[in-house]
Amino acid sequence: MPDGIDAPRETATRRKLSRRNYARSYWLFILPAGVVVAAVILFPWAFTLFMSLQDMHVGSAMSFAGLANYRRMLDDDRFLWAILRTLYFTSLSVFFPTIIGVAAAVCFNKHFPLRSLARTIFILPMMATPVAVALVWTMMFHPQLGVLNYLLTSAGLPPSTWVYDSATVIPTLVMVETWQWTPLVMLIVLGGLASLPADPYEAAQLDGANGWQCFRHITLPLVWPFILVALVLRAVDALKAFDTIFVISGGGPGTSSETLNLYLYQQAFAYYDIGFASAIVVVFFALIMLVTLLLMRRRSATS
Amino acid sequence: MASVSLKQVRKTFGSTEVLHGVSVEIGDGEFVILVGPSGCGKSTLLRMIAGLENVTHGEIAIGARVVNDVAPKERDIAMVFQNYALYPHMTVRDNMAFSLALAKAPDTVVEARVGRAAQILGLAQLLHRYPRQLSGGQRQRVAMGRAIVRDPQVFLFDEPLSNLDAKLRVQMRAEIKQLHQRLRTTTVYVTHDQIEAMTMADRIVVMNAGHVEQVGTPLELYDRPANLFVAGFIGSPAMNLLEGQIDGGVFRARSGMDLPLPAATECQEAQTAIYGIRPEHIQLRDDGLPATVYVVEPTGSETQVIAHWAGTPVVCAFRERVTARPGDTIRIAPEPRLAHLFDNVTGLRINGLQ
Repeated sequence: MPDGIDAPRETATRRKLSRRNYARSYWLFILPAGVVVAAVILFPWAFTLFMSLQDMHVGSAMSFAGLANYRRMLDDDRFLWAILRTLYFTSLSVFFPTIIGVAAAVCFNKHFPLRSLARTIFILPMMATPVAVALVWTMMFHPQLGVLNYLLTSAGLPPSTWVYDSATVIPTLVMVETWQWTPLVMLIVLGGLASLPADPYEAAQLDGANGWQCFRHITLPLVWPFILVALVLRAVDALKAFDTIFVISGGGPGTSSETLNLYLYQQAFAYYDIGFASAIVVVFFALIMLVTLLLMRRRSATS
Repeated sequence: MASVSLKQVRKTFGSTEVLHGVSVEIGDGEFVILVGPSGCGKSTLLRMIAGLENVTHGEIAIGARVVNDVAPKERDIAMVFQNYALYPHMTVRDNMAFSLALAKAPDTVVEARVGRAAQILGLAQLLHRYPRQLSGGQRQRVAMGRAIVRDPQVFLFDEPLSNLDAKLRVQMRAEIKQLHQRLRTTTVYVTHDQIEAMTMADRIVVMNAGHVEQVGTPLELYDRPANLFVAGFIGSPAMNLLEGQIDGGVFRARSGMDLPLPAATECQEAQTAIYGIRPEHIQLRDDGLPATVYVVEPTGSETQVIAHWAGTPVVCAFRERVTARPGDTIRIAPEPRLAHLFDNVTGLRINGLQ
């Protein structure tokens, strides 16, 4: 029966053909997304890069400046200090939320009465609007009228200058950042802890490990990939922190809390030096990429 | 090495009692298997010996020491878990050395002990691998290696072979038995597989619904099951159980046929009972009772035949090759010497009580 033999072959060829036709029309489906990406990511990027090579002030003519904007950065003390301050602020606001977040996750991974309620309360700061939160903190930081100094003096401790002194402003901002973003780290790590198998712990118990040794030798290595994810998110967030700092200290006193983000904001929207601000954005982007890549590399090395 | 003694051990989870007073004495160097169906409490009992579950009532002693309130790590035991419970982020070597590292043993001791265990189990080539790079059987060996390195008083095994394929299971069975013969460490082993229990154990503890049904050597359980549960649980294919009554020196099955009574039957006349006969103790005999063949399953070494004996299905296992086909009539007879009688109310053995 020749029909019976030929029929399957024919459908196979047809299937292959139709698959090829699909392949040809795939690009139509990704076109909308491609347009959006090009319009809101690629074009702004290319344009920023273009602007960074121009001498460009709002309201005046634009001229090609080559690498002059970049060269200017090297001589700009305020810029270099902004980088150092950004790194200082970032390392502290990665360190504290991670330590406290991991500790909190370990606590919330244990069963205790009202655990769900406690967990909900713990993650509330994360859900608040940063600017609104910053305004409330600003009131609390007021040296004479703020509740924080009232509490300190009530407890017999000396009042603090909080954000009104260049020595305490960054640690104070880190405190706000820690308060708001520790829950995020906790949630990520808690998810990791929940996915850990239970039996290695029983084996470790028999092998003679105490609570701390279980944590050190089993929990920490197993949950490390999750901690790294939290580290990456936290590092990127802290590097580009703007709203909290802008509202609470505005980069002051003087420039003592001026991070890179605040500095480039000043350059672009206070001094209208768009060319120079664009060059800072390019360097800033490179810095964020570098930090992220370093952390991601650590991640792939462990997994 | 040490003995393990369980005295009236009870365990409740909330209001549910899962172990109702279990007493077992395990001798020094003995290989004892706890066997029973799922949910009979055997794993719970093992975990109680390990200290992973607390004892609600009763007493567990390892050697001369009562360990009810002793932490697992102080009990000097090692356990092999069903899913191995290896530390996924440690190499084979580190997995085995972990307990020694925690005890701050000197490097030379660690190397020597891990090296010896690796050599016993054939893991020497795999010491730098991670558990995820190993096959099921290799992981199983690492789990055993971790136990051997500890050189404990007692080994505990919790269904260690149930995640392996059939062929590997047979191989590992032999290896574990060999290991015990070599190390002579007291071993408590939990399984739901009665073949595993029969082939490996010095003594078997048959458990059912939180009770110990019988304790004995594999052949004692096979030859003289103390009750219907043990009779049905031990042996594969399972023992045929026929309902009926003892009447005038014979057993009259409900379906009407008369079967010869086993020797030394001590019972009153006209008692209802259950007649147990193992498939391998039914013979083809010309003077036997007629039975209709339903299914013939040749396995090569023997032929299993499912036949209807006056309406009651019975399984027979013949050493000889049977040429019968479904629908044929064969004549079969139980070997009366090897038959078992049980009380059909209490389920206890009637004939030849010890």
